[in-house]
Amino acid sequence: MVGRQYDCLVNPLGAVRFTFEKAVASGSDPASFDHKDWGVADLFREFLFDNDGLSQVPILTPSTVQVAQPNTLVRFRGMIQDMLGNEFYVGAYKNEETWNTNKFTDVSQFPMGTSPDMRVWERRLLYCVPVPGQNLWADSTSEGAIYPCTNIASANREKRLRDNCSVSADVDMQDSSNDLPLSPCAKKMRGEFLPSENITEGTDCGASMVPDSDGNDFACLVKIYDSPESDLKLNDVFEFIGVLTYDTEVKDDKGGDNELANSFPEDESVNLPPSKVPRLHCLVHRKLSADDMILSSPAMEPKPHLVKGIRESLLRHLTVVLGDDELAAHFMLLHLLSKVHARVDSFAVGKLSLNLTGFDKASISVFGNRINDAVKNLLPFTHRMPLTVEYLNTASLAPVKDYQTNRLVPGVLQCADGSHLTIDETSLEAGTLNSNGVENTKILKDLMEFQMVEYDFKYYKMKMNADVQLLVLSEAKSNILPADLVVPFHPSSVGPLGIVDAETLNAWRWYLATLRSLPHSIETEMQKVVEDDMVAARQADRRLGSEDFSRWLSMGRLMSVSYGETCLSHEHWQMVKEMERLRKERLQ
Amino acid sequence: MKLRQISSPFLPQPLLSLSLSQIFTSWTATTGGTMKDVDFSRDKDLAKDFLQNFADAEGEAKYISILQDVANRKIKAIQIDLEDLFDYKDLDEEFVGRVTENTRRYIGIFADAIDELIPEPTEALPDDDHDILMTQRAEEGNENADGTDPKQKTPSEIKRFYEVYIRASSKSQPFTIREVRASHIGQLVKISGIVTRCSDVKPLMKVAVYTCEECGFEIYQEVTARVFMPLFECPSKRCNVNRAKGNLILQLRASKFLKFQEAKLQELAEHVPKGHIPRSMTVHFRGELTRKVSPGDVVDLSGIFLPIPYTGFRAMRAGLVADTYLEAMSVSHFKKKYEEYELKGDEEEQIARLAEDGDIYNKLARSLAPEIFGHEDIKKALLLLLVGAPHRKLKDGMKIRGDLHICLMGDPGVAKSQLLKHIINVAPRGVYTTGKGSSGVGLTAAVQKDPVTNEMVLEGGALVLADMGICAIDEFDKMDESDRTAIHEVMEQQTVSIAKAGITTSLNARTAVLAAANPAWGRYDLRRTPAENINLPPALLSRFDFLWLILDRADMDNDLEMARHVVYVHQNRESPALGFAPLEASVLRAYISAARKLSPSIPRELEEYIATAYSSMRQEEAKSNSPHSYTTIRTLLSILRISAALARLRFSDSVGQSDVDEALRLMQMSKFSLYSEDRQRSGLDAISDIYSILRDEAARSNKMDVSYAQALNRISRMGYTEAQLKECLEEYAALNVWQIHPNTFDIRFIDA
Repeated sequence: MVGRQYDCLVNPLGAVRFTFEKAVASGSDPASFDHKDWGVADLFREFLFDNDGLSQVPILTPSTVQVAQPNTLVRFRGMIQDMLGNEFYVGAYKNEETWNTNKFTDVSQFPMGTSPDMRVWERRLLYCVPVPGQNLWADSTSEGAIYPCTNIASANREKRLRDNCSVSADVDMQDSSNDLPLSPCAKKMRGEFLPSENITEGTDCGASMVPDSDGNDFACLVKIYDSPESDLKLNDVFEFIGVLTYDTEVKDDKGGDNELANSFPEDESVNLPPSKVPRLHCLVHRKLSADDMILSSPAMEPKPHLVKGIRESLLRHLTVVLGDDELAAHFMLLHLLSKVHARVDSFAVGKLSLNLTGFDKASISVFGNRINDAVKNLLPFTHRMPLTVEYLNTASLAPVKDYQTNRLVPGVLQCADGSHLTIDETSLEAGTLNSNGVENTKILKDLMEFQMVEYDFKYYKMKMNADVQLLVLSEAKSNILPADLVVPFHPSSVGPLGIVDAETLNAWRWYLATLRSLPHSIETEMQKVVEDDMVAARQADRRLGSEDFSRWLSMGRLMSVSYGETCLSHEHWQMVKEMERLRKERLQ
Repeated sequence: MKLRQISSPFLPQPLLSLSLSQIFTSWTATTGGTMKDVDFSRDKDLAKDFLQNFADAEGEAKYISILQDVANRKIKAIQIDLEDLFDYKDLDEEFVGRVTENTRRYIGIFADAIDELIPEPTEALPDDDHDILMTQRAEEGNENADGTDPKQKTPSEIKRFYEVYIRASSKSQPFTIREVRASHIGQLVKISGIVTRCSDVKPLMKVAVYTCEECGFEIYQEVTARVFMPLFECPSKRCNVNRAKGNLILQLRASKFLKFQEAKLQELAEHVPKGHIPRSMTVHFRGELTRKVSPGDVVDLSGIFLPIPYTGFRAMRAGLVADTYLEAMSVSHFKKKYEEYELKGDEEEQIARLAEDGDIYNKLARSLAPEIFGHEDIKKALLLLLVGAPHRKLKDGMKIRGDLHICLMGDPGVAKSQLLKHIINVAPRGVYTTGKGSSGVGLTAAVQKDPVTNEMVLEGGALVLADMGICAIDEFDKMDESDRTAIHEVMEQQTVSIAKAGITTSLNARTAVLAAANPAWGRYDLRRTPAENINLPPALLSRFDFLWLILDRADMDNDLEMARHVVYVHQNRESPALGFAPLEASVLRAYISAARKLSPSIPRELEEYIATAYSSMRQEEAKSNSPHSYTTIRTLLSILRISAALARLRFSDSVGQSDVDEALRLMQMSKFSLYSEDRQRSGLDAISDIYSILRDEAARSNKMDVSYAQALNRISRMGYTEAQLKECLEEYAALNVWQIHPNTFDIRFIDA
């Protein structure tokens, strides 16, 4: 690579212009650049991934956004929460016989005359928020030191900044680690039910610097160019790398002519003042999997003996967490590995929701928290929902479109694929549900049965696919939330959890993240065995239906996957059958 | 401070705001530079020529007669159909292309052409304010004979008392909002969507009229945008020369205003790709098009896609971004009834092709809920429910319903609900509800107090909402007692009567009821009689044309089939191939709506046949010691209805014997689903029974031949299978009782 005339980090727009000029000089007509890239993405990909530039790009957080320079390269990790449609802009124009471009920026570099040589292009607006329910360990921004040291003019400020951001980021992360957009009632609950939340309270020295110290609603408006619509879907978790435009100078202008110009004055741009929500003109985006959320990924090969070792230690850990109930721990392991692999008609293949029954007020306070902490330590995105009549009546579970602000108001169940949701039904008491409560139970039930959430667009509802692992803790079998697996929970002791070192923890995380997406198949021979077993079972018990068969197969899959294998073996199938037998015994 | 310095090179704000508004006006007027060399005056002549000489299908000068109506002040809107422009053979296609690509400009051109063409009113008109003003202005114009001052020229806009719209072709497929791109700016587009918000109707200034205090002249200012800068100094020649700087006063009465309404249109749910959020678009309605839509309406709009230039401070901040809107040109509401269903594009052709296919009945039935395995006869019955029979009104005013009612009863988990939901999706108007889960309004109707006005309002329930459509009621057995009594009326009289809170009325509920119910004890109990299991009063049951029992029987093959299916789904992540290509829901809908247009009659020669069939059913019932069914006159009506529906499917104007046979077969099959146990007990071995059935059939028709299809129909009505028929055919052929055609299996009796 010859010396650049620009620095991709500090002056990405320079790079954009450079490539544009090069493309025009090489004879391309700017008119042909509609919905096309002229080499910018390749340039940045090379810089970021081949030349290891990614780690130098600062991550946008409520604290770093205060010091990040406009028009520099930044990255933002988050979930697409809303899509605000597209935006038209003058993409290329002629200024005194030379073509210029406005791509990846909000304002033009040169004055534009009334020249007719102008191309109108479009970009899409995505409203992104930090992933709901993201756990502290999965948050890359909590490592405050990621902020690059090389490019900031004032070393003095940089230092201040660094202290600042590491501390305040920590504080924020505390906050946002469980930032379900809960209703006031739920917020109150959070305090009650999550005592383990407050691990350390950061000193508040940095708080004054954070614009809205409420880091919860730190969002980013990402402008997407060129890439096809099907690439970026609602609720996907992405890392966007692009040019930051963050205009702190301009204050809200709810002034005179604005009103005149639009008879719906509550337009989205008014609700998202650029001084609060930074804009990011996306150059490169990449989808993040659960794998990417583990920061110090051990980068291991899923080798059988290695996997077996991790499996055993994890199982031991889960057994301890579940008070020496080995069967429950086995089911728990399969449950944590489950994922929706495919959708056939309305059926979600691969889901495995688990209902642990037999809790009472005393045991839930012990094991509820233990389970919750364990899950939080293992999976990147977790939620906890205390199910009470009041909660059902007041909470907004499904997202609702607000036509006043033209925004999708997030609901608790708008979460990223692969999230884990623990529903605590033990505090539910007899009471009357209002219409909202009935609606909410229906939504929960739909999520359980079909892994779908109905988003309310007022004039119609739209079903959105979800992939949420659901764990229900209840006294007796939950009828409101019919889970795939009902396992009576029989703890025998409350042993100390012991201390798990970070390396083991990371290995477990890696294990759960990697193995759940392993491919799987059933050999023809094995298929025959499975089919015969099913027919025999159904001849013996007419109550068995296709749901039960489907569950067995899911369990078979998860069982072999948990050993790192991609093919169902006799042994694993027998294990599944044995587990089902033991479970049935307990149910009687 | 430092921050600002760094960023400032990229923010040449003042320069920007200077040019923005100009950019956008130039855009809307000419759409870039491509139109420069177009000779607009030539196009005006083309437009004039078109308006004068276009003749519609009947050969009448369509637009000249419209213009006459406009001159007579009968109508205000002149709608120019793009379709007519296409059809007008003297016109070059380039002109049409220019009109679609730069519609706003061409509206002006057409308006200019109309100005020149508008005829004198043929009827005496009372002068209104506007006319008086215009006469005055005309006189003043004569006085000011030198006419050199352009500022004082009356703009043609103010003289017009009509509005011009260019409407996109109604045949073309509308865009979804997502498909409208930057390249469509300035063009005429057609989109479909649902209206989510509507503003009030407000006046919009079109021409501002001022009078000058000094010189007394009227000054006109045409307003093209939402915002304009009022004039303060008189620009007239006289004031200029005198340097009087005459003070201008805005004359609201003399100015021209237009009605203006803004609305938001949102994508329809079915147009949104998976995992995306519906997009929305702003629509402006002007003049006659205002108050045409309200929130919740599903509409097709044609209009011009235009950018709104930002003004003032906002322009600076927003940089180069433009908001866009659609200037509406025409509105059409989406029809949700079969009767108003319009066939699109090639659908007509497709239906014709399907109708020629002999197997259409089976094909359509199989395409209903293709993912649900088997249940072919039930699907056939559901297809007939969708098609229905024509309503009959007798001379004495009595109405006989044409809608079929079906009740599916069965064990839990036999896909009843899926069948119901699928039918609702196919029907253009369908309501799905559960017997228990419906709201306070329930199934029928309720009187409720409006929370805002405290007035009593009548709110229709599911059955009323499904008027002229299908109402699917799940958990029929768990219905409230009050609803259950009301449903008797709905199912036969097809109305809902209500007498509550001082409101006595009767609402139409011409709906086909599709009910699903569980047996009395959750599961079908084979030890008890069917009547005990069904647990619905006979008065209700007799109203259903079909009552179908779907049982989950212990059957090795079925179990294996199910196990295979589940394994396949897990292995291949998709459903097993169906072995046939199901028709799409839209095609089904189109075919059914075409079939529903017919109203087949029953030919005289069939009456006897039907009467015999009915009486034999009655006799059979009388013979058996425990009558399960209630064969009443309603049954006869059912036979007629089902036959008529079958004839509709064949696109036939009269019911044929085959239709009646199939109707009887279906009814028999539905009965067998309930009483199959009895059949097996009744003595006679199957083979000889089949033989006697066939013998009777041949004797009845006085022929020696019985076709295979006919034979199959007959014996299946008696509850025998095709395998049994084949066995019988072989056995008796060996005895030389009949001959079997080697290919078609038709039967010919050998006369002894």
